[in-house]
Amino acid sequence: MTNTKKPGTLNRREMLAIGPLAGLGAFVVPSILRADTGSTGRYVHANNSAYDTLDPHTVGDVARVATRLNFYDGLYRWVDNPPRQIPWLATSHDVSEDRLTWTFHLRDDVMFHDGTPMTANDVVYSVERMLELGLGAGALFLPMIDPGNTVAVDDHTVAFTLKEPSAIFASLVGDIYVVNSALVQENEVDGDWGQAFLIENIAGTGSYTLSRYDPARGFIGERFADHFAGWGDKYFDEIEFRTVLETNTRLQGLMRGDYHGLDGYLAPDQIQRLREADGVTVNEEESMRVFHLAMHNGRAPLNDLNFRLAMVHAFDYDGYINQIMQGTVARNPTIVPGNLWGVPDVPGYTYDLEKAREYLDAYRAEHPGEEIRTLKIGTLAGFSETEQAAALMQNGLAQLGINVEIESSPWPVISTAMQNPETMPDMVPYWKSTYYADPNNWIGELYGSRYAPTRNVSSYHSEYVDERLEQALIETDQAERERLYQEATQRVYEDAAGIWIYNTKWFGPYASSVKNIRFCPVGNGQDMRWAYAE
Amino acid sequence: MRRLELVLSRLVWFIPTLFGLVFLVFFISNVIPTDPARIVAGENATEAQVQALRAEMGLDQPLHVQFGRYIGDLATGDMGRSLYTRRAISDDLMHRLPATLELTFAAMIIAIGLGVPAGVISAVRRNSLTDQVLRVLSVSGLAVASFWLAMELQMFFSTRLGWMPLNGRVSGWGPDEITGFYVIDSILSGDWESLRDTLHHMILPAFTLALPAAATLVRFTRAGVLEVINSNYVTYERAMGFPTPLIIWKYVLRNALISTVTQIGLIFGALFAGAVVVEAVFDWPGLGTYAVQSILQSDTKAILGFSIIVGIVFIGVNLLVDIIHTFIDPRTLK
Repeated sequence: MTNTKKPGTLNRREMLAIGPLAGLGAFVVPSILRADTGSTGRYVHANNSAYDTLDPHTVGDVARVATRLNFYDGLYRWVDNPPRQIPWLATSHDVSEDRLTWTFHLRDDVMFHDGTPMTANDVVYSVERMLELGLGAGALFLPMIDPGNTVAVDDHTVAFTLKEPSAIFASLVGDIYVVNSALVQENEVDGDWGQAFLIENIAGTGSYTLSRYDPARGFIGERFADHFAGWGDKYFDEIEFRTVLETNTRLQGLMRGDYHGLDGYLAPDQIQRLREADGVTVNEEESMRVFHLAMHNGRAPLNDLNFRLAMVHAFDYDGYINQIMQGTVARNPTIVPGNLWGVPDVPGYTYDLEKAREYLDAYRAEHPGEEIRTLKIGTLAGFSETEQAAALMQNGLAQLGINVEIESSPWPVISTAMQNPETMPDMVPYWKSTYYADPNNWIGELYGSRYAPTRNVSSYHSEYVDERLEQALIETDQAERERLYQEATQRVYEDAAGIWIYNTKWFGPYASSVKNIRFCPVGNGQDMRWAYAE
Repeated sequence: MRRLELVLSRLVWFIPTLFGLVFLVFFISNVIPTDPARIVAGENATEAQVQALRAEMGLDQPLHVQFGRYIGDLATGDMGRSLYTRRAISDDLMHRLPATLELTFAAMIIAIGLGVPAGVISAVRRNSLTDQVLRVLSVSGLAVASFWLAMELQMFFSTRLGWMPLNGRVSGWGPDEITGFYVIDSILSGDWESLRDTLHHMILPAFTLALPAAATLVRFTRAGVLEVINSNYVTYERAMGFPTPLIIWKYVLRNALISTVTQIGLIFGALFAGAVVVEAVFDWPGLGTYAVQSILQSDTKAILGFSIIVGIVFIGVNLLVDIIHTFIDPRTLK
């Protein structure tokens, strides 16, 4: 049998081979040519965190704040930069003479997404739920208030009786996200406080209602037209938050127009890449996320002031900020963010190896014959800034004849080690984020004895500092609080208890059409009710 | 009957193999110096809160007691709850499994479609320029790092040319979920737009995953064909005047594929586990992204669950390969 064919034509076997491929191609190609422009009514945000639970009371991390801010409301709300609290579910509050009872007056026009009105009983249930679960922000309230001490005075008044006076309580009530008590109670299983239900359902009053949710991908929220705060002329009808783990994929997605916004703490080269891209705007704000090297003040030789002073002069601050971070951050001389109140007027330590040698000589004079051991710096795997800071410190100390070992571990590993003085490395570079905009969030939690060893991981203890921090926690006069925090921070600075490097700048990358992103360090610009497309 | 005996004997080994896997992964994951109770409690928790949670989670018990409890729960299909999300791990894994299986099957089809014919051509045209080129390509395919290839493909086909979606499994939220396999669900619901979109999204990740597998298959197929092509029966068929394509594709390939089929089984398991990197880059909502998140969060129970699922699939596929072997080469039953 001869097999003849005309030039340029296919025989039966070739047709059989190519046919299915051509068919598949013809089927798929039309979608190649179809641009995915996205709806102007929907804002799509790509984030590196998983939205793996919607429960507002079991997680408290900043990375997953979008579900809490957009589906739920707190008594007050943090907005803008510098952060300020505005009345939200509550319109005002009173404090009793003994400063133990805080009474909040609630709005009477707040509706849950299912149309039922919110009352003080819902606030009480939410607080009890937070305290019972003891997770997320609940852990912040447990030291302040016992279960059963929140009562509904009437439908629109709720009173909290604290264990001891607290000046920061009002700063925290934004974290009391109110759930629909009737709906949650209906869905409780074996006394689980509705945990199984709220993992993938919403029972809030927030600006958006849940329309789709997939823990593997993210969520879509639909604008809640009846939200008590009302709506302006412009807004997004829908918001979608997607988990996109790979940074490069998020960047390319924004540049292609697949997304309208990304998380705002990117490396300098990535920020530069986005700045050069068409259709992308990078919003710049000084945040309140202080990068520092926590030092173990309780272990020799770091328990000696002269040795610590040598350490703080061995770090090349300018080199790190201007070369490694390419000037994308602001020098912060103490642990309290420079753009907050309560900051003392101090110049900040400088990179000065001569001075470091002098302090080291003074240390050696006090400890004759003692050999300085190898210091260990623990860094956060996957966070190159921490590894670079450790390498720079290693370089500075090498010039002083001090050996440094660097060990990198994932955050859960290093954070477990840090919270035990026995296993805490000599130094750990990391960030302190804003959970509430009060100096206690930084100087109090990181250097106050009451927070050791969980948040004060430095084993730093000073009666002088503790006295002021404790007084600031109960003092209600703002000027007095400011003085107390300034004095405490000044002493911690003089004690060289840590190496404070920079305050992060937030570079929020958005599609140029997205307007009115209202950045606040507490929510990282993910409170979407203010934004719109133009 | 002999085939059934073979299957049963393999199944008997399934349980101890799985137990060994669980034992190893459980104790290895407990070597990681983390405190799951502290992770769950969050960084604002006090020491007393962490201690209370530790007792509640049974973490204050000796490791062998914890292992015993875990095995008991596992026997009832309960893999526990994620430390980080508090979700049932078995639910999370089952929800993501179809996405990974679908990607792995697609990659397998591409790998076989490219690797087997290329291996045959390489063998038939041994030492020719085509053979040399294919050998270079297959070595390159094995050497290239998946994450690098994935990013390059994204940059070129998605960002520069705009031909391919950048990431994800589908543009919107996909077809109505029936089986969780979007290709099947699209067909079952007659949603041709979703089918087109799903296939479109699958091309780059499946190709990235398939390339090293295809390279392996090229080399195994080539070696198998070369071994068979000089057999007496092939010489006889040539002498009988059979067309060369018929001899190669029908008679030589069947015998040459025995070792390739074994490889396909191993490769499937490797692809399934290797999807971790590709899924992370392409934001594919499967087991790989779950594993990455679990590792970053030191979510030991979730890592354990992932390892068990990968182990089950690996063992299952190899059982299937053994059965297929008995059809391709009935001598294995003797």
